[in-house]
Amino acid sequence: MQRNDLLWVEKYRPKKIEDIVGNDEAKASFVEWLKNKRHTKKAVLLYGPPGVGKTALVNAAAREFGFTIIEMNASDARSEKAVNAIAKPATSYKALDNFTGETKTSGNILFLDEVDGISGNEDRGGVSAIIEIIQKSLVPIIMAANDPDIDKLRPLKKECVLIRFHQVRIPLIIALLQKICLLERVNAEFEALERIAQNSRGDVRSAVNDLQSLSEATHNLTLQETALLSSRNKDISMDETLHKYFAAKYIVEVQSLLSYSSVDYDDFLLSVSDNLPRRYTNPSELAAAYDYVSKADLYRGRIGTENWHLLKYFFNELAQAAAVNPESFKPFEFISPPIRIITLFWTKGKRNMLNNICGKIGTQCHVSHATAKHDFVPYIKLMLQQKKNSPLIEWFKFNDEEVDHLLKMGRY
Amino acid sequence: MAANEEAVMWVEKYRPKTLDEVVGLKDITESLKAFMKNPKTMPHLMLAGVPGTGKTTIALAIAHELYGQNWRSFTLELNASDERGIDTVRDRIKDFSRYSRSGFGDIPYALIILDECDQMTGPAQTALRRIMETSSRTSRFILICNQSSKIIEPIQSRCAIFRFSRLDKQAMKEHLQCIAIKEKVNLQPEAAERIVEFSEGDLRHAINALQTASAYKEGCVDEKTVSLVIGEASPMQVQKMIRKALYGDFTEARKVMYEIMGNFGFSGNEIIRQIQREIYKMSDLTPEQKADLSSIIGEYDYRLTQGANSDIQLSALLAQFGKFGKNVEETYAAK
Repeated sequence: MQRNDLLWVEKYRPKKIEDIVGNDEAKASFVEWLKNKRHTKKAVLLYGPPGVGKTALVNAAAREFGFTIIEMNASDARSEKAVNAIAKPATSYKALDNFTGETKTSGNILFLDEVDGISGNEDRGGVSAIIEIIQKSLVPIIMAANDPDIDKLRPLKKECVLIRFHQVRIPLIIALLQKICLLERVNAEFEALERIAQNSRGDVRSAVNDLQSLSEATHNLTLQETALLSSRNKDISMDETLHKYFAAKYIVEVQSLLSYSSVDYDDFLLSVSDNLPRRYTNPSELAAAYDYVSKADLYRGRIGTENWHLLKYFFNELAQAAAVNPESFKPFEFISPPIRIITLFWTKGKRNMLNNICGKIGTQCHVSHATAKHDFVPYIKLMLQQKKNSPLIEWFKFNDEEVDHLLKMGRY
Repeated sequence: MAANEEAVMWVEKYRPKTLDEVVGLKDITESLKAFMKNPKTMPHLMLAGVPGTGKTTIALAIAHELYGQNWRSFTLELNASDERGIDTVRDRIKDFSRYSRSGFGDIPYALIILDECDQMTGPAQTALRRIMETSSRTSRFILICNQSSKIIEPIQSRCAIFRFSRLDKQAMKEHLQCIAIKEKVNLQPEAAERIVEFSEGDLRHAINALQTASAYKEGCVDEKTVSLVIGEASPMQVQKMIRKALYGDFTEARKVMYEIMGNFGFSGNEIIRQIQREIYKMSDLTPEQKADLSSIIGEYDYRLTQGANSDIQLSALLAQFGKFGKNVEETYAAK
């Protein structure tokens, strides 16, 4: 069986409250609220850095105390309409499950994850709708946020119990990593685990992810191998990502690099494509590398918005493209803003002009823009060049600019 | 052939207005004329065939036959490759069939001519099928396409299909001479031959070439002028891009590619089609080399249809050309 079949963060997700490492105070206040205060103060806001166990705590507590969680997160459109449609029935009809008597539940809890994700026009009315729900709600509401200080959430703070989460302390993370290593049969040096824990800056989730990606290649993890780790909590720029990408030798390096970098995969692919000819000067090597990039691009297309399990193949193709001939690698200077974007920017006017011209041809001659471009424009240009004030101009209703453009236009 | 005196472009000026004026497509015009005797019985039509063989002309002639001089008020001309998405098409058809419901005279429907249907995606075609159904009481569709095989079955089964084949060379030459006489131009036989040869059965292309050539010399079109016009009107940049790539100058080849995309707004698909066409025109390649290059092009054309990024796929194709060129060079050196 493949070791990477399941993400360790999923496999070792805490099932009980006591499994959650660190933040004992926050856990205690949350349990206290859930047990005793949820009727007097209906809502609670859990806030703190990512990966410290906010969502895990909610799920574990619900399991232990038998609540049914109705969850919405930032990816749900949180417009007033959506909030009303999803959240209201859940809050105003108490535990329908109870009615059948089959499931035993202490009731429903509405869980709004990543409430700081409410933003932009799409979610307009989101915050006020949430407040309205809190006020009308018959069941408790739990919210979680990474950054509770942003202005738009301020109105929420008045309505809630606030529970703060801190970064998890390094020794606790190390202990968790050791436990996982034992279960996954990974021999890891203590120093290596320490390095991973430190690098995570108190983010348990990222520490577990790092451990998994590093031990994918080997069962023996040494401090040396943790050098592959990119620093967390720091945006890695496109330049830096490209630099590390082209210097990478293993798939795991590319994988770790891209998961930590904040670059967009599509932009990254285009930048790799732009810079590939600088990396490989030998035509055969360039062709081979481009073929991998082309396949990576295919996988990128297939991943779309849901098939994320294909991501590993995408990384694999990209890693192969970087490693066509490791011996020939020499540091080189990158072309940074993609050539395509620059070219398209400067030529936008020309394209619009040609498009208008083709539109006018299309109206008169019953053809599509594409046909006008291929079968008419070259001839009309030559005719205009032969006769400056040709009746064509009036018939097509070309303006001076368009005539000028046609006269000066090159051949494709 | 009655000339449309207002039109300046000869393709429009000499476009037949009625089915009777259309020459050379007897089978098609005869069966269409049968429909015209009782227009209520006319089904949806699909006109399929290579470019420049008279599909649009037939469609417009039908509009003329049905509605006479006022045909424009009852006919909606849409181009599937120009309209942005099926929603635009749907909205325009909806509006049109709503506003032109009254006053057709004897004809109980409006005519919708939808050109380049084979450019539509599968889902868009499914939506089109639905539109055809919902508006069938008020509209008739004439769907025009190059390949009927690219149209989904349910649409095909709702249409009477007419196939247009490449025009006969002799007929084309006669037609060009006919126009030349009306325009008082002396079209020399070798010049006509050259135009027909070049336009590969596409009458629209041929007439445009003829009109352009006639602008060069007063009252006379000779072979020399025609060759000049054809040369000037043929693509140059695509050829340049291919040569740069084959000679190993990848960076320059890609620069040309971006220029073509930027200045002319060609899509990846269009450029690939151009590359394919140009490869076959390049006389310094052997037939085997052309075949090899074609199969490389085919692979990347396929990847492009899989929703991949055109920049990356075209760059990858140019890189493959570079490798190909280098291999050819090495084989020659070895000999």
